[in-house]
Amino acid sequence: MSGLGAQIRAHLPYQRRNAASFALLIFAMVLTLSAFAEVGLARDGKIPGGLFVYGGGLAVLAFAAYFVQAKFAPYADPLLLPLAVALNGVGLAMIYRLDLDTSEDKKAAAAAGKKLVADAADAPGQLMWTFVGIGLFVAAVLIMRDTDRTDAPLSFTPKTAQRYTYLIGLCAVILLLLPIVPGIGAEINGARVWIRLGPFSVQPGEFAKLLLVVFFAGYLVNKRQAMSLIGKKAGPISLPRARDLGPILVIWFFCLGVLFMQKDLGTALLFFGLFVSMLYIATQRVSWVMIGIGLLAIGVFIATLLPFMGHVNQRIDIWQNPKPYFDGGCLLDSGKVVPVNPDTDIFKKYKAQGSISPGFSACAELGGEYSDSAQLMKGLFALGQGGVLGTGLGQGEPWRTPLSFSDFIFDSLGEELGLTGLMVLLLVYALIVQRGMKTAVAARDPFLKLFAGGVSFVLGLQVFVIVGGVTRLIPLTGLTTPFLSQGGSSLMANWILIAILVRMSHDARKPAPQAIQDEGMTQIVSTR
Amino acid sequence: MNMDKPIRRVAIFGLLLFFGLMAQVNYVQGSQAEDLRTDPNNSRQYSDLFNSPRGTISAGGVVLVTSQETGKDNPKYGRSYKDGPIFAPVTGYFNGNATQVERAYNSLLGGKDKRITQQRWFDTFIGKKAEGANLELSINTEAQRVAYQRLRAQTQEGRRGGAVVMDIKTGAIQVAASWPSFDPNEVAPQAGEKGAKRLQELDGARGVLKPLVDNALSQTFPPGSSFKAVTSAVGMERLNLSSSTTVNTGQLILPESGRPLPNSHDSGSCAGQAPLKGAFAESCNTSFAKMALDLGIQQLHQGAEKFGFGKRVTLEPDMYAAKSDVPLTTQDASGKTIPTGGDATARSGIGQQDVRATPLQMAMVAAAIANKGKIMNPYVVQKVRAKDQSELYNASPKQYAQAMSADHAAQLADMMRAVVSEGTAKNLQGRNIAGKTGTAEQGAPIPNSRWFVGFGPVENPRYAFAVITEGPGDGATNAGPVAADIMAAVLRK
Repeated sequence: MSGLGAQIRAHLPYQRRNAASFALLIFAMVLTLSAFAEVGLARDGKIPGGLFVYGGGLAVLAFAAYFVQAKFAPYADPLLLPLAVALNGVGLAMIYRLDLDTSEDKKAAAAAGKKLVADAADAPGQLMWTFVGIGLFVAAVLIMRDTDRTDAPLSFTPKTAQRYTYLIGLCAVILLLLPIVPGIGAEINGARVWIRLGPFSVQPGEFAKLLLVVFFAGYLVNKRQAMSLIGKKAGPISLPRARDLGPILVIWFFCLGVLFMQKDLGTALLFFGLFVSMLYIATQRVSWVMIGIGLLAIGVFIATLLPFMGHVNQRIDIWQNPKPYFDGGCLLDSGKVVPVNPDTDIFKKYKAQGSISPGFSACAELGGEYSDSAQLMKGLFALGQGGVLGTGLGQGEPWRTPLSFSDFIFDSLGEELGLTGLMVLLLVYALIVQRGMKTAVAARDPFLKLFAGGVSFVLGLQVFVIVGGVTRLIPLTGLTTPFLSQGGSSLMANWILIAILVRMSHDARKPAPQAIQDEGMTQIVSTR
Repeated sequence: MNMDKPIRRVAIFGLLLFFGLMAQVNYVQGSQAEDLRTDPNNSRQYSDLFNSPRGTISAGGVVLVTSQETGKDNPKYGRSYKDGPIFAPVTGYFNGNATQVERAYNSLLGGKDKRITQQRWFDTFIGKKAEGANLELSINTEAQRVAYQRLRAQTQEGRRGGAVVMDIKTGAIQVAASWPSFDPNEVAPQAGEKGAKRLQELDGARGVLKPLVDNALSQTFPPGSSFKAVTSAVGMERLNLSSSTTVNTGQLILPESGRPLPNSHDSGSCAGQAPLKGAFAESCNTSFAKMALDLGIQQLHQGAEKFGFGKRVTLEPDMYAAKSDVPLTTQDASGKTIPTGGDATARSGIGQQDVRATPLQMAMVAAAIANKGKIMNPYVVQKVRAKDQSELYNASPKQYAQAMSADHAAQLADMMRAVVSEGTAKNLQGRNIAGKTGTAEQGAPIPNSRWFVGFGPVENPRYAFAVITEGPGDGATNAGPVAADIMAAVLRK
């Protein structure tokens, strides 16, 4: 059977596309540098000093990454690195631009003798994390070797991970559990998904995501024959055997449970999509997707019954009708939404008592569930302000949106770059995902196929969940926007993800090793 | 077994997710953008206004309203009103929302008007915000101050007063003063949260005192006897009366109730019979009530419309005075429509019953009399200049209406002169104004609305005025001197 992968390989032998990659990288750098220049010109009428620090820094890193890729993975997909650099650069420019505004607040706070705003845009930090992220990319490309050379020294390839499937699954679970551990876990913005390591906060979920892909891929490759063939028929759906489905279900349910406890619904949704999609790729059976969706429905139903999960209902309510919740609203048992915002008497009452969160306290007295849609609405206002062409970088007021530099950075970009800019960003993401999928199709090894497919899909799904959330396509859940959002964990994990794809695409696209036995046969070498 | 097919399907599904996102972004930033921008919760629409300085408003070389930097990020620019309460009836306030001139000329003041942006298209192109244009008002600042002080002094505690002076040849408003007033500085952008509260407080002020509603252009009062000028004008035209026609000034029995309508006095011209001029000068109620009955409410209503009753007078694009009215029907408390009957028609003829007029409207009546029947359209903005001093707008006087014939106007002007020389306003002799007194009873316990409506100078008039104060007493003693003082200030220049 000549699969699509074989066809693609047949069309893509011996192709090194490093020149194209280099040209695209230059383009990505030009894009980033003009973004910095525009910020400076619009705000102060001159090229900002930051251009040289940030742009220069990013350029050095990007070209270093390029040379490593050209030398050690010369057949790699030419688009992946430049696309990721472009996203990282645009995100950095936006954070730099937001930092210029928040730094004024910081100065004012410092002058007033108050503690600095902890939750603010931090461009130098982001530059550092970009450094670390691209460093990890370089390291990963260097460490991971061609699949064929498993006997070489330092024989670590993407396929090596298959050997440690269960260990990696365990690691994913432990990483997810860490934020619950008292002492190192930290709750930021309502979700307990952080751990503190000295001065740094790390979001282990970002790395768990990658590990979980490996675990699913490893497990499913082993079991997929059994899972897709053996099973009892129950009507139109054939059910799998418990021993095939068991371990994966246990781990998956465990992860979802942990995420629900951490109120990290975005990641839970991500893991769910990951599970279903990989199951489908492995078994090619739609019935699995049905079972997955059925399990989700049951899970959501149970979740809404739990008293502490009332805010799932509310998120959906806010998604459908955010206006009553602006600046705070209280959902009563009757289903009515009562405003509980700084204008209301009950809010003032608790404000006067010095309650830390008057809205919550006031709503508790009313016997309802408190929430606030101001973030979402303000994000949408930013998008509305941007319109089709945007205000131009540095000329909007993106700082008006809370978390404009992390969860809502897509809306911030929408304000200043407009619909036009957002279309480009979405296209860049879509291209990365599609190149990843292409890598999966081209890969020779089933494990690598699943791995690449899973990794690409999870990246696309993450963009969908967060961007869909901040544009009110789906209910809002917190997730980072890959490469754009401020934050080290996200950048590191996503750069590793790109490194894995680069390595695998090199593997898939490089010429097959010459078969020594078939010396007599003519080998056709394309001569460009 | 090959996994390419499911991978391809998942790849397509991934693409569909991105199409979904693209469609949503298009929907939000394309079709919903306008709704989002104008959403009441969206603070951007207001903050945007405060990011660049707004134009100044000046009058007669005195700068009344300026914008200056607050030193804060939001609002970046505040608004400062010099002698705010005095000029508020014209300038209005601005805090994102706006009233009066601040509202009517919002786009020019804020630099968003096409006349500015087209001139500065290059600035717009490079993203530099156009600066707001400066307004010059037609207000006579000195007279406006006098008006404010005198209204305050003459109005009963807790009641209202208003004054309007307009140029009869151009329609330029010289004075538009109101008591009580408010200070727009208190609600200007820099006042922030506090300003919003103050605005609410002003808006919800108790009783009749609505400081935000000025009593010169935006409030109506029963005009009382000053309305006899309108009744006379309509009578002259439709009943072929002249100032010398002898009219009945004796007692009048109202047609429906059979009750007599009293005069303030039954001596002099009001003793039984007198020429119209005498009845006007001494303000005999019965003659004008009879005239209204002869005309019928329909004709009185239509006649008054020629002066501007029955519709809002447009001073500037998007700046209107309140509607004065001689109603044909009224609604009672339960919302039932009641046609204006015979008794009511008689009382309407003397500016009572449900007749209502703004000081501006009564000044327009006086202007018609002083200007050969012609009313010029009132306006308050004389000139608009861009920051580079180029002229963007210059008021061009337009005729509002020909309310009566020149002959009738001349006769009425004489009748008004007689009011001061020999009639109810003899106390104003030597003040170089002519006019008609009015004292409308508003029913106990509400004090009278006291009017003096007229023009000055007595010969070759140039300005028409209307003054109202509320309190006990009558128009001649409680509104006349106020008008005389204001006119002295107007004519001084």
